Amino acid sequence: MDILLAQTLIQGLLIGGAYALIAIGMCLTYNVSGIVNFAHGDFLTLGMFIAFGLQAAAALDPYVSVAITLPLLAMLGALTYQYLLRPVARSHALVIIQLTLGLSFVLQNGLLMIFGGQPVRTPSALEASILVLGDLFIRTPQLIAFCTSLALTLVLFLVLGYTETGRRIRAVHQNPQAAALMGIDVPRVRTLTFAAGIGILAVSGALLLPGTTIWPAQGLRFTVITLMALILGGMTDFAGVYIGALVIGIAEAVGTVYVAGTTGMILPYGIFILVLLLRPNGLFGRAA
Amino acid sequence: MTPAFLGTLRTPWLWLAAIVVASFPWWLSSYHLGIAILALLYVSLALAWNIVGGMGGQISLAHSVFIGMGAVVATALNLRLGLNLWVGLVVCASGAAILGVFLALLDSRFRLAHLSFALITLAFAEIGELVVTGSDFLGGASGLYYPKAAGGLMQFDFGGSTGYLFAALLLALICLFVNAAILASPLGFYLRALRDNENAAQAIGIPILRNRAVAMAISAALSSVVGTLYARYLGFVDPTQLASPTLVIEIVLIATIGGLGTPWGPLVAAAVLVPAGELLRGKFGGVLPGLHYFLYGVLIIIVVLTSPEGLVPRFASLLQAAKRRAGGRS
Amino acid sequence: MLRIEGLTAAYDGPPALSDVSLHVDKGEILGLLGANNSGKSTLINCISGLVRPLAGCISFEGADITRLKPHERVANGIVQVPEGRQVFPQMSVLENLLLGGTSRGARSHRSTRLDQAFALFPRLAERRPQLAGTLSGGEQQMLAIGRALMSGPRLLMLDEPSLGLSPLFVQIIFKALGELNKEGLTLLLIEQNLTLTLAYASRGVVLERGQIAIEGTREMLKGDPRTRAAYLGL
Repeated sequence: MDILLAQTLIQGLLIGGAYALIAIGMCLTYNVSGIVNFAHGDFLTLGMFIAFGLQAAAALDPYVSVAITLPLLAMLGALTYQYLLRPVARSHALVIIQLTLGLSFVLQNGLLMIFGGQPVRTPSALEASILVLGDLFIRTPQLIAFCTSLALTLVLFLVLGYTETGRRIRAVHQNPQAAALMGIDVPRVRTLTFAAGIGILAVSGALLLPGTTIWPAQGLRFTVITLMALILGGMTDFAGVYIGALVIGIAEAVGTVYVAGTTGMILPYGIFILVLLLRPNGLFGRAA
Repeated sequence: MTPAFLGTLRTPWLWLAAIVVASFPWWLSSYHLGIAILALLYVSLALAWNIVGGMGGQISLAHSVFIGMGAVVATALNLRLGLNLWVGLVVCASGAAILGVFLALLDSRFRLAHLSFALITLAFAEIGELVVTGSDFLGGASGLYYPKAAGGLMQFDFGGSTGYLFAALLLALICLFVNAAILASPLGFYLRALRDNENAAQAIGIPILRNRAVAMAISAALSSVVGTLYARYLGFVDPTQLASPTLVIEIVLIATIGGLGTPWGPLVAAAVLVPAGELLRGKFGGVLPGLHYFLYGVLIIIVVLTSPEGLVPRFASLLQAAKRRAGGRS
Repeated sequence: MLRIEGLTAAYDGPPALSDVSLHVDKGEILGLLGANNSGKSTLINCISGLVRPLAGCISFEGADITRLKPHERVANGIVQVPEGRQVFPQMSVLENLLLGGTSRGARSHRSTRLDQAFALFPRLAERRPQLAGTLSGGEQQMLAIGRALMSGPRLLMLDEPSLGLSPLFVQIIFKALGELNKEGLTLLLIEQNLTLTLAYASRGVVLERGQIAIEGTREMLKGDPRTRAAYLGL
């Protein structure tokens, strides 16, 4: 195979793996609470900026500060669900879209007021580290991101499939009323899964930070990537969403390498629309 | 003409407000006049969006693409190919309408009711921004510069602030009347039925795709026209402003805060919030950029949690209750 | 054991239940009868905590439970087998049963109760790894009852357990319910099948438009012509 192509595909796969973890968090909350959170990418950005702040203030490496950002974001997620989303959970789907769009504005512009609009970079121990495999180069942070993301997704999959907690979460997904009749505290399960979905973003943030610049308005882009992966994967299927994210990552890498300028970045969106036209139920969806 | 439509035309407050706005050039500073023009443009944008988002209950985030067509593409066609802006306005509005129909079609294939529409249109908004910033023809990331006062009315130039104020006022009134006309027509009825219960509406034979496609086409074309005027007024087309999803989210928030469905919610909210936001930005923009957006966000969260129907209907019903109480006492 | 006083509940519009008072005694089978929309399901959903009453109070074994959340009532021993079975379709029979015993305090008894459920309905043991959504209606009803038993209820409420089942399955289900009652389980039974109810229940309550129309022993209800009339919604 052509070296450039191989390099591009690997790059895309690694990026896609990092995206997958972001999308899995949303997939979890969509499954359990039916909520599509348009502020998802902004929570991710918030996590990244907290890590940036901790690096600037206390010289904590993002890989270390995740121990602080994870519980922080999870708590914020729990509060958001409990006080903002749960009161409107039974309303028209529009209301949740409006609310989370508002939340996106609050987070994005709150960050803008605190950190300013200039892109910033968070130093990290491994940011410049590169692995050489024959003719191929792999940036170590991206490899770490891919592996961690894959490992966490597998853990999540096992927890959902084979533990008491996972069984309860699936019960709430399949039939919330029957779950309540089994003695499951449904609102608590929903709050906790939302907290988990947001908490995971702290990990994603730490994995994405080394070697990249961040700015407050970037959240929407991550939200869109997440939503595309979610739709490609058929909304509820973890494996499908994971692969959907890989497709987006690879398309992005191919577009950036082979098409000049920002136009190449359109490729993932083009593939998304094409898939939507050809397979409206996602890549692996069966006709409903 | 149905009575409901004529009722909107006959609202005395509307004409009083229009006369007051028309008198602005004689007593407002040019800074405040600029804010008034901006507010009128946002009123038009919110009203154009309301056709799909409010009456149809479909949160379209792709309207930045339609606005961008009118703003960026029409300007680029004029600057690069010498196409008259009036012609460009029509071409871009038609293009936006066609794109709108395509989006409605795309959404009809993918059924998650109201959710999928927001998801798909948001992806489109991102594409729109990338296309504009990635294309040199459209000005790329650096934007297009269009000197004002060049060529007179035949070149879509309205002279100074006074001219643009009148143009914006006229456009806002047109958007209002289009809203009122749709609301009073079968299309408006079908759209609301589809919004409230898609399955039931379908069961009584209301065609989903046709109604939504028509609504999208009208809404997209209007947005594009507003975009052209907006760009011409600014004289500088900044793609990160005029083709960005943030602009449309801002419109969604404003319209929702006001109250969706009838034209009055988006109209009043834009007329109040945009000047308030601009004044805030003028005062604190240097120190706290994004403060007014932050406050919009907080405001919509409060509105959604406390009076999801929007503030204008809420105040209207409070006012009515107060009137009834006053009437009861006398 | 269970005591309800002055219970009133409504969704949107006229009350679905108005001022209902009744009691369930320990060890009995109370039949809850009535035409469609007479308020039977609303009543047991109030007892389960799924519907919040507008007025009235519910006490169980002497303690006021009116304000408890649904999952707390399950932990207290009140369990409902909902109408239409409501099994978790994409989970195996075993997983459904395990979920039944997920509440605090029930987990330590899981293996013994699982054996009991399989002894009661041997067919469930055969179908253990099968997805619940692929079971027949009768098997799903067995699963729903078995699942409810996993939490060790002291009061079991069943909403139309015979609905849509073949006579053979109805017989199996009711035989099992009779055995459970003999072992000391208190049952509150909503049932469309009047003859069946009167064959098993020791006492009955007939609801009519959200109010109690008749209340009495099996013999009393059998002899009262109003029972049939109320039942047919006359």
